[in-house]
Amino acid sequence: MSQPLLQVKDLHTYFNVEGQRAWACAGVSFDVMPGEFLGIVGESGSGKSVTALSIMRLIPDPPGRIDSGEVVFDGRDLLQLPLNEMRRVRGRDIAMIFQEPMTSLNPVLNIGRQVMEAVVLHEKLSREESRNRVIEVLEQVGIPDAGKRLKDYPHQFSGGMRQRVMIAMALICKPRLLIADEPTTALDVTIQAQILELMADLQNQREGSATILITHDLAVVAESCDRVIVMYGGRIQEVASTRDIFQEPLHPYTKGLMGSIPQEDSKGKPLFAIQGNVPAILDFPPGCRFCSRCELVEDRCRSEEPPLVDLGGGRAVRCHLVEKLPSNAEAEEAAP
Amino acid sequence: MAAYFARRFLLLIPTFIGITFVVFSITQFVPGGPIDQMILNMQASATEGGVGGSGSTVEIPPESLAALKEHFNLDKPFFVAYGYWLWDLVQLDLGKSYKYNVPVIEVITSRFPISIYFGLLGFFLAYLICVPLGVLKAIRHGSRLDIASSLIVFAGYSIPGWALGGVLLVLLGGGSFLDWIPLGGFRSEGWEDFSVWHKITDQLHHTILPVMAYMVGSFATLTILMKNSLMENLGQDYVRTAFAKGLSERSVIFGHALRNSLIPICTGLGHAIGLIMAGSYLIEKVFNIQGIGYLGYTSIVDRDYAVVMGILVINTLLVLIGNILSDVLYVLVDPRIRFS
Ligand SMILES: Nc1ncnc2c1ncn2[C@@H]1O[C@H](COP(=O)(O)OP(=O)(O)OP(=O)(O)O)[C@@H](O)[C@H]1O
Ligand code: SF4
Ligand SMILES: [Mg+2]
Repeated sequence: MSQPLLQVKDLHTYFNVEGQRAWACAGVSFDVMPGEFLGIVGESGSGKSVTALSIMRLIPDPPGRIDSGEVVFDGRDLLQLPLNEMRRVRGRDIAMIFQEPMTSLNPVLNIGRQVMEAVVLHEKLSREESRNRVIEVLEQVGIPDAGKRLKDYPHQFSGGMRQRVMIAMALICKPRLLIADEPTTALDVTIQAQILELMADLQNQREGSATILITHDLAVVAESCDRVIVMYGGRIQEVASTRDIFQEPLHPYTKGLMGSIPQEDSKGKPLFAIQGNVPAILDFPPGCRFCSRCELVEDRCRSEEPPLVDLGGGRAVRCHLVEKLPSNAEAEEAAP
Repeated sequence: MAAYFARRFLLLIPTFIGITFVVFSITQFVPGGPIDQMILNMQASATEGGVGGSGSTVEIPPESLAALKEHFNLDKPFFVAYGYWLWDLVQLDLGKSYKYNVPVIEVITSRFPISIYFGLLGFFLAYLICVPLGVLKAIRHGSRLDIASSLIVFAGYSIPGWALGGVLLVLLGGGSFLDWIPLGGFRSEGWEDFSVWHKITDQLHHTILPVMAYMVGSFATLTILMKNSLMENLGQDYVRTAFAKGLSERSVIFGHALRNSLIPICTGLGHAIGLIMAGSYLIEKVFNIQGIGYLGYTSIVDRDYAVVMGILVINTLLVLIGNILSDVLYVLVDPRIRFS
C-alpha cells in the first residue's frame, strides 16, 4: 500500500464570533491517496471550505485560527512550516480553485498575467517559456485561441470559461494536490458537466496526483469521485467509497442528503428533504451535531457526541446507532 | 467610446451656458449694482475729502447715468445683456473690470500664479501623503499607528482650514508665542533680490502654514477613502486566489489589491482638478495672500460683476473638464468600464 499524499489529523479550526470560539472544524482527520479523487459533501455551513482553507493555511486571521492538528504533506506538517516555506507549497504542490469564478479573478489584470504569475513565481521560467506554458495550459483546459486571449480581462469571458481559466491557473505548476471548492456551483448544468469532465481528464493526466472536490451536490460526487467524506457541523459524519455511499448510505444525515437528489425511479414522488435548517455556527446542539434534525434521535444523542467508528473496508460512521444502521437499511428494503 | 466622449464635450456647452446664465441673472437682480456701488464710492471719497460737510450727496447728471447704464448693458433686459456677455466671451473677451478699469483677464491672471502655486502644491501633497498613509493604515489596521493617525486626521477634518491657520499663526507667527513662521504674505519684501537659496527657503517659509490650512479638510476624506478602499479589496475573493498561488503578502497587496483600490482615488483626481483654482477666501484672508478666492470675494462685495463672471467661467470650465477627465481616468484604470 502506498503512502498517503496528504494526511489531515485531528484538525481544529475556530472563528471568533460574538466573542466566542465557534468551531467550524473540530477533529477532522482523513487521508488522500495519490491518484485519488476525493469528494467532501455537506450542506452549506458544514465546514467544508474551512477544512480546505486550513490545509492551505488561508483561514482569515482574524477572525479565524487553526487551533491544533496536523496537515502532513510530503512528510512535513504544513501547519508547522515557516510562512515562506508554506508559500512555496501553495500554488506549486497544492493548488486551489474557488467557487465564484467571477470574483476569484482579479478584474483589472488580464488573464495571461494572472495565469502566468504562479509559474513565474515557482519555476523561474523566462518570459517566453512562461508565455508558452500559459498558452499550453489554457489550451489544455479548452480555451479556444488561447494565444489571442492572453490580453483579455476576466469580464470578457463567460462563467464556464472563467472557471476554465481558474483551473488553468491552478494547474500551471502541475500541483500534486488540487483542491476544488465548489468549482461548478455557480455554473449551469451543462457547463457543470463539462468542467467536471475536464477535471477528471486532467486528474488522469497528472500521474500520482490527487483531487479534493468539495460540493454540496451528491450528483456531482456520483459523477466524479472515488471516495466521499460527508461533513456536518464541522465534523466528519461518514466516510465511504462512492459506490458504497450510493448503495448503502449509513448515517441518517447521508441518507437525508441522498433523499434530496432526484432519482430515476422517484419520478413524481416528492423529494425528501432533511427537516429544518443547518443551525448558525454557535447554535449547534451539544452531543451529536445532527440531533436537532435527526429522525432517529435518542436521548443519549443529545448529551453525548458519538465517535467516528471505523467499520473496516474504508468505511467510517459517526452515529450512536452505528450497529443498528445497516439492519435499519435492510429493514427498509424489506418493508414494502 | 470616442462618441461617448465627444457627446460629453458637446454637453459641456449647454451646462456651461446654464450655470453662467443663472449667475449672470442673479447679478442683475441683486440690489446695489455696479453703478450704485460707484456712487457710493464717490460719496465716500467726497466725505473723507471733507469738502462739504453738508448733505454730501453727489449729483450725477441723468445723461451720464444713462450712458453708464448703457456701457454696462444695464439698460437692456438681463437676457439680452447675457447675450452680449456671451458673445464677447466667444471672442475670448471677458470685458473690463468695473473697479480697476483693466481687462478682467489681466486682473485674474495676475492672481493665477499664487492660486495655482497653492492649489497644485496642496493637491499633490494631499495625494502624496494621503495615499501612502491610507495604504499603511489599511495594512496595519487596528495598530497604534492606525488609531493615532485616525485621531489626527479626524481632528483636522473637524477644524475649518482658516481656523487652523489662524490658531497656528497665533502660536507660531511671532506674536505672543513662538516666532517660527512669517505672519503672512506670499513672499518676503525684497524677495526678487534674494539669492536663489534664500528665495526658495523664504518661499517655503511662507508656504507651510497656508498649504496646511488648504489641505487639512481634504486630508481626512482622502486618507480614509484610500484605507477603506484597500481594506475592502483585501477581503475580496481574488486576493485569496492570489495568496493561494503562493504570492507574498507584499505582492498580493501591491500587485493585486492596490491597483483595484486606486480606482476610486483616480477618478477623484479629475474632480480635484476643479478645486485647484478655487482658492479659499477665508484662508487667503487669514494669511494675507492675494489669491483667486480673495479676489472673488472682494469682487462680489464691490459688485465688480465682470470679474465675478470671469472667475466663474474659469472655475466652471475647470470643474466640467475635470469631470470628463475623471471618466477618462476611469477607463484607463478599470478595464471593465467601457462607456458607450
Ligand atoms: N470568515 C469567517 N468568519 C466567521 N465565521 C466563519 C468565517 N468563515 C466561515 N465561518 C463559519 O464556519 C462555518 C463553516 O463554514 P464553511 O465556509 O466551511 O462552510 P461550507 O461547508 O464551505 O459551506 P458552503 O457550502 O456555504 O461553502 C460557517 O458556519 C461559518 O459560520
Ligand atoms: S447519533 Fe443520534 S442524532 Fe446523531 S445521527 Fe445518530 S441517531 Fe441521529
Ligand atoms: Mg464553502
